[in-house]
Formats: sequence, structure tokens, C-alpha cells
Amino acid sequence: MELEQFLREVIAQPGLTGHEGPVARLIADKFRPLCDEVYITSTNSVIARKKGNGPKVMFAAHLDEIGLMVTKVEKDGSLRMGSVGGVDPRILPGMRVTVLGKETLLGVVGAKAPHLLTEKEREQNYQRDDLYVDLGLPADKVQSLVQIGDLIQLENRFVELKNRRYATKTADDRACVAILYRAMQLLANMRHEADLYFVATCQEEIGSWGAKMAGFEVDPDFGVALDVCHAATPDATQFTHEVTSLVASMGPYIHPVLRQKLSDVAKEQNIVLQTAVVPRSTSTDADDLGVVRGGVPTILLELPLKYMHTTVELFDMHALQEGGRLLANFAAAVQPGWEDELWI
Amino acid sequence: MLKNTLKTLLEPWGPSGNEHNVADVIKTLLTGHVDSLRTDALGNLIVEKYGTDDNAKRIMLSAHMDHIGFVVTAIEKEGFLRVTNVGGISMDYSRGRHVVFENSVDGVLFCQPVKEGKPTLADFYVDIGAKDKEEAESMVQLGDMCVYAPDVFSIGKHRISGPAMDDRCACALLVELLLYTENQKNTIVGVFSTQEEVGLRGATVAAYGIAPDIGLALDVTGAGDIPEEKYPAVILGEGPAVKIMDRSMIASPLVRDMLFEAAEQAEVKVQREVLPYGGTDGAAIQHSRAGVPTGTLSIPCRYVHSSCETIDMRDMEDALKVLLTFVDL
Amino acid sequence: MDLKTLCELNGVSGSEGPVRRAILEAARPLCDSAYIDKMGNVICHKKSGADDAPHILLAAHMDEVGFIIVGHTEDGMLRFRSVGGIDPRVIISKWVKVGDVPGVIGAKAIHLQSPADRQKVLSYDGLYIDIGAKDKAEAEGLCPLGAYASFDTSYQPLGDLIVSKALDDRVGCYNLLRLLKNEYPCDITAAFVSQEEVGLRGSQGAGHTVDSDAAIILEGTAANDLGDVPERFHVASVGKGVAVSFMDGASIADRDMFRQMMEVAQAGGIPAQVKRGVTGGNDAGSFQRARAGQRTVVLSVPCRYIHSGSNVASEKDIDAQYQLADAFLQQVEGGTNHA
Repeated sequence: MELEQFLREVIAQPGLTGHEGPVARLIADKFRPLCDEVYITSTNSVIARKKGNGPKVMFAAHLDEIGLMVTKVEKDGSLRMGSVGGVDPRILPGMRVTVLGKETLLGVVGAKAPHLLTEKEREQNYQRDDLYVDLGLPADKVQSLVQIGDLIQLENRFVELKNRRYATKTADDRACVAILYRAMQLLANMRHEADLYFVATCQEEIGSWGAKMAGFEVDPDFGVALDVCHAATPDATQFTHEVTSLVASMGPYIHPVLRQKLSDVAKEQNIVLQTAVVPRSTSTDADDLGVVRGGVPTILLELPLKYMHTTVELFDMHALQEGGRLLANFAAAVQPGWEDELWI
Repeated sequence: MLKNTLKTLLEPWGPSGNEHNVADVIKTLLTGHVDSLRTDALGNLIVEKYGTDDNAKRIMLSAHMDHIGFVVTAIEKEGFLRVTNVGGISMDYSRGRHVVFENSVDGVLFCQPVKEGKPTLADFYVDIGAKDKEEAESMVQLGDMCVYAPDVFSIGKHRISGPAMDDRCACALLVELLLYTENQKNTIVGVFSTQEEVGLRGATVAAYGIAPDIGLALDVTGAGDIPEEKYPAVILGEGPAVKIMDRSMIASPLVRDMLFEAAEQAEVKVQREVLPYGGTDGAAIQHSRAGVPTGTLSIPCRYVHSSCETIDMRDMEDALKVLLTFVDL
Repeated sequence: MDLKTLCELNGVSGSEGPVRRAILEAARPLCDSAYIDKMGNVICHKKSGADDAPHILLAAHMDEVGFIIVGHTEDGMLRFRSVGGIDPRVIISKWVKVGDVPGVIGAKAIHLQSPADRQKVLSYDGLYIDIGAKDKAEAEGLCPLGAYASFDTSYQPLGDLIVSKALDDRVGCYNLLRLLKNEYPCDITAAFVSQEEVGLRGSQGAGHTVDSDAAIILEGTAANDLGDVPERFHVASVGKGVAVSFMDGASIADRDMFRQMMEVAQAGGIPAQVKRGVTGGNDAGSFQRARAGQRTVVLSVPCRYIHSGSNVASEKDIDAQYQLADAFLQQVEGGTNHA
């Protein structure tokens, strides 16, 4: 299946943090033909294995998405909302959302009109408490269809822009799940000694829990976390990256020898790799995967993304495909002797 | 009687890391009524009551024994004690409180005048009636802890107020569940946990050691039915609350729905809770090892982390009915 | 190995290589087995010989706070960040080494500062390391992205005290190596762990793999005992003995082990004090919560100006840390002090 089609389907499928069932099932189905075995854990991580006799390597990209949750149904039928993961309230006014109640309902995020605000109020951003979801239904109908705790998925569109760049919700981190998918496609025609685990992890957006739990289950010798990072925009130039190629971080949370191996593979394959330096935690699955059980030497590969945690997350398809190629070649390069080289 | 058990459990002194007195009271209540009983390295009291079903699941039910308090960090020339918080302490709730140490030394917690800004805990001191440092040191030592003195009273027909309601009300529920359940299908692993208020520490190690099939934390939740509060949309006296999400955890849909199922079977009305802050032992259990499907059943509570945490006994009675059904699902 | 040698090795969190190699070499002849685990910790086992002897874990961290290079300016300066918590106010006009390359942390001269500049705290965004490079290309060649930098300061006597970088926690490593020379009635695992300063990382791995009954952590801690600090904010007093913690941000000491430590100190005439401050945290947090949990207690050497290039401590306190750990271990028996 073409990557674009894979992304379209996987991004559309609901999988808000803690409720990843639907997207986990879809991803497991897509992975199945490309691996020896695949299953979904009790917390909705997808674990796909391509068997080998060498060291166990776990590749992790998270499948959960940020969104909203109904916290209160007002007497007038409007819905108040809480955040599942870090949703910037500035993106919400006027957004069309999907309320997953007893039925799937279209909603619009409403706010008091600017005409009715004081000058002072207009100088401030809307807070989530100022906003509500309008379902266009009478209050009693709303009460019968929606209750506290129901999920609200953010607007789902997938649009191709110029130069093979795409804008969509949840490129964070399903674009990286697509990198896993691409790597598995390529590995069908490649030899690999390592025992490979491609894991789409749950619950990253509230704290890397999926990587911690799935890492415990897989118990790998090496870890590779995949996540998105910030691409440069006119208002964010420092410590951001070109959108056109991948980034491999360095720093205390990243294993230096393993990162060098990744860099060597990239050079050999003529894959452009940018460098980021992270002085402490990376705020990705790499942090928790690295300290699973007795510790897992772990590296981090990132796809630059503009407008992270919005519904117009923008990425470059070429960079994504290069990610698949790098991952596949890295997987094929892993040797049993690597473990002895880690602390020289 | 649930109410008597609750009152018994509100008495013992037990700030985080010093829960042994609470554990002793619970041991006395449960000895002879459970299949096993032990204490682990962090002081968690772990009891089991075996299920009858061939495919019995092991359900870890956790209620924490510790409550918030203060620890002595300096003893001054004039005999005053300086303290810092053990767990989440509010300055607003602390000025002018009666506090008590394990050895029954009483004190008054007060705040010195503050020239600028809001007081911090560094401005607070405990007056134990000592005339100087020497006398103070004969009563209390560095590292000793104190808590809001027990003062339990009823308000209105159904409500009870006091410190340590968080989480002794849940300890009472768990004790009653273990006393009254008989031949239930699933194995109950009851954990009276330690050090919840300083970061779910007891439940973290207990969950690892137990490796349960399912987890359920029992704890209080805020009530959004007091003046100028909106969230959570939980009302005191309208039934126990099934947690859907808080800052520490999104309840596993499986366990959350089991709780709704249990409530329906028990013909009990429950509320739905989305709490924009806070966390419970549930998070520690859910994220343990390779993951454990886990939920939380909450008792609505007003004025959480004050010396007058207030709950409604009808919510307690209903929670017990839900639990008795839950372990039999 | 002497403390001076240990302190003058560079081992910023995530880059502990020189310290790791030196410790492994020094520890190997002192124990039954010594190896490097998956977190880069050095783990040393020493059996007591007795069956069912309690198993005590002793831990100290190898890493120190320092810096990492995050960028280069067109004119050849290095942009950097701290690894571990270093207050940017204490690093202006200090000597550093980026790998083997010497450099200085500069800032605008006082003559060129406006009155407003003088009030302003410089953040890491406003500071740079100057290695004398003539342009960006030379700087990148010598000190690439991700290179680590350490304080470049020596170990010296200071009146009755000593001054050095990295006393936090080479004092613990030093004493751990001394303890490994002795025989005890309990099984010992000495864990020299990595990455304490960036979130107690190495100890999480060691806590999981070492199946011990209780853990004693040897640390360096802030003293805060001089100058304008009111007495009630003193954390520990330099020269008054090893500091035993009842609680900090990462763990509450096991109450029995805390009491036993104070009793053992008193019985043996070993200078000891109760550590008063409760901020900060250390590896006891990970060891206490590893697997199904274990009891922990922390013994610290009070260090002034911790997390700078000039930590000040007393050799007497360093020795007291050793003496107290030693005396405690001597009297551990199955059943009595067996935690």
C-alpha cells in the first residue's frame, strides 16, 4: 500500500490517548502482512515482530493522538471540555470537531463573539474554559446522546500542499508509525540478523507510558524511538530544523555509540541526517524506553514538523520516506557484537 | 458498620512514610477474615482473599493509609519548630491549626507576619509550648512529623468532616469489602498503601510485586458543588464517582466499564468524573510492568487536603455496594 | 585511588567514560565480580561467604554536572547548555574544558554594561564558551555539536577544608572503593551509577538488576551553612560530620534505618548530623522504588557551592561517611539489622 493511503486511513481513525483501540486495530491489520507476528497489548500498543536470531531491537512510534473530552454538559446543551494531552486552546475557536457520543456527532467550537468582548478581553487569548462545543441540537437531545467523559476528536483533514508536503492532524506521531510501516515494507527484501520489534505505542501524549509498558514486555537489547520535532518557521528559528530531512538527537539520554552507528548507516546510504542536542529529557518515548528494566541503550530519530499539536501539522513526504529507508538499513546493520562496543 | 470502621480509621496518626499505626489498626480489624496478610519493604499492608472461580482474576484494590503532614527541619533557640510539607499542603488551610506528633506532643501551627507577598511554608512555625531549644529537643527531634490533629464530627444528617478523610474513607471501604465479601469470584489483593501523597510510591512497588490482572484505586475526588467551583462536575451525596481521567491517568476503558456494569447490577447511581488535576494510586498500578488495566472509584469530597475534608456517608454505602458486585463480575 | 585523582577526572552525565574506566580498574581486584551494565553503571559484587546473609546495595554516582555544546556562532563561539542543574550566575569568567580543548566562559565587560545590564541575570542564551577559534568551521571541527564540557579546576586544600569540582559525588565513589576493601557479614553490591544529575537514570537500571534487601546511598549534598543564611535554612554543617537524611524530594528514609544510623554513629563516636533540608533528590528515589521496593537511607558529605567548579568540603566529614557506612555494615546480621 502506498504511504499516502496508509497515512490517510491511519490518521482518520480515532485513537485518543487512553482510548487507542480503533487505531491500534487498524495499524495491527496494516502491519500483519509485513511481519511474522503482531498483537495488541492490554493497553493498546501494537507489537509487530520480524524474527531474527540476533539482538532484540525495539522501534517505537506512538499511535495515540491529542484531543478533548467532555467535562460537563451545560443546561443549554453546550459541552464544556477538558484536554487529553496538550491541546493549544488558541487553535480551537471555530474548529469543526467530532464528538464520539452514543452517536458520532459533528460539533463546532464556539466562543463569545468578538463584538461582545471588552477591549481588554480581546487582548487575551481564549482559555479553554471560555469555549464550548455546539452540536446544533436541542438540549434534551444532547443530554440523551452525550455524557461526561465522551471523547472529542479534533478536525480531521489530510491535504497535499506543494512539493510533497502534507498538512494534517496527528502527523505527531502517526507519520512516524508510517516510517515503521515503510521500513517493514523495505525489509521484506532485505536480510537482517536482529530480532526486530516494530511497536506503535499508546499513551505517549500524557507521559511515554506506552513505551515504558511495551518496552517492559519486549525487553529489548537496543531501542530506537521515533517522534516528531520542530521544523523552522519564521517565528521559530532557534533550535529548529529543516523540514526536508530527519534529525538524530544527542545528549545524556541518547546512547552515543548507538547514535554513531545510526549516523554511519545514514552516511553509507546517502541519507541526510540533522543533529539536535538535548541536554536533558527529550520528552519522547526515548526517555522511558531507555530505563526499562535494567536499561536499554536507546537512540532517537525525529521527523521535523511545523505547527506541532495543531490540526495543520506539516511534514515533508520525502523526509518520511528517507526515514523508512534509514530505519530498514539500520535494522539490517545491527550485529550481535554491538553489545560489546557500547562502553569502550 | 461502615461508619464505625471509618471513625476507627480516622484516629491513627500516619503521615507519609510513617503509616505503621494505621497498618496496625487495619491488621487488627482484618486478622481472621482474610487468607493472607503481609507487610512489604515500604510498609504497604497487603492482604488477600481468594476468589472461588477457576479463572479468578487477581484484582489489586488500593487505598492509601498515609495523609499529608509536616516534618521538622529546624528547632530554634526560642523553642519554635520550623517545618516543611509532606505531601500537598495549602498555606490557606494551615494557619492556626492544631497539630500533633506521634508521641502525642501537641502544637499550634502558625505563620509569622510577612512583609511582602503571600506567606510560604518557610514563614510557618509550630509552637509546642517549649520555652527554649533544649526543652523543645526533649519533646521533638529533627525529622519528626506532625499532622492536623484528628477532629471528626458530623455535619447535617449524612456528612462527616475531619482530616485524613483522604484516604482513610477508602481504607474503611476496603476493610468492609474484605470483611463482608464471601465466596466472591475473583481474588481480592487489598493493598493499604504508603506514601501516596508524596508520589504514589507505595503503590508503585506493591503493584510490581503483586503483578495483578486488574487494578482499582479507591480514593477521594474533589466535589465541584461548592461556591465558585465548577469542576469536576461531581456532587456530594449523588453517588460515588467513576473516574474517567485525571492528571495522572486515563482510566482503562475495560475497568471503567466494569464499574458502570457493577453499579447497574447493584442498582446504584454513580457519577462520571473528569478531574482536571490530581492523581491516584491507579496511575502507579496501570503503568506497572507491561501495563495493568486499571480504574479508580472515587468518593466525592469537599475541602480535600484541609483539616475538614467532608464526605457523605450515602456515597460510601453506595460505593461499598458497587465494590461487592465488582469483585464478583 | 585517591580523591584528588577521582575528582579531576571528567565525567559529565552521559559521558562518564574516564570515571567509569578508572573505577572499574580500581574495583576489579577488590570484589568477586565487576562489570558494566546496560546503563553504563559499574556493578561490583562481593559475597560474605555466609549462606542467607542479607544483601546490601551501596551506591554512589559517577557523573558530575557540566555542559554540552548546542551550537556555534559565525565568529567561532560555542553555544552551550548545562547538563544537570548549574545556575548561570556562577559560571561567568570560569575555566572549562570541552573534551581536551581549553576554553573560557566570557561575558560583556563591566565597562560596556549599561546599568540595566548589570541588574540582568544572564541566561544560557546570553553566554558562550570561547576556545579562541577563528571562525565557525574551526569551532565545529574542534568542538562538534553534542561535545561535553567540564569545569577545569583543580583539587586543592582550602584552610582546614578542601576545594574541588565534582565532590558531588566522587566523595561517594571514593568511599565506596574504600569499603570494598573490607570484609562484612553481609553480601555487598557496590553500584557506581551514571546519570544521577539528569534524573536518577543509571540507578533505575541498577535498582532493577541488583536484587538487594536494602540500599545505602553515599552522596554529596548542599550545605548552605555560611554567610547570610539564617540558621533554620542550613541544610548541613561542614565539619560537623556525615549528614543522615530523613527525607528529601525523591525519598523518605526508612525510619528504622535512619534511627539505626544515628545510633551506630553515637555508639562508635562517629561525627554525624541530621540533614535538615528536604529539597533536591538522589538515587535513593530509584532504589527505593525498584521492582517490589527496598528500604533506603542516604549518608551525605556536606558540600558548599555544590554544582559549581569549586565545591568545598571537610575531609573529616568524608571520613565520617566512610566510618559510618563501615560501622553499620559490620553490625548487619540476618534478623537484627537485616532490612
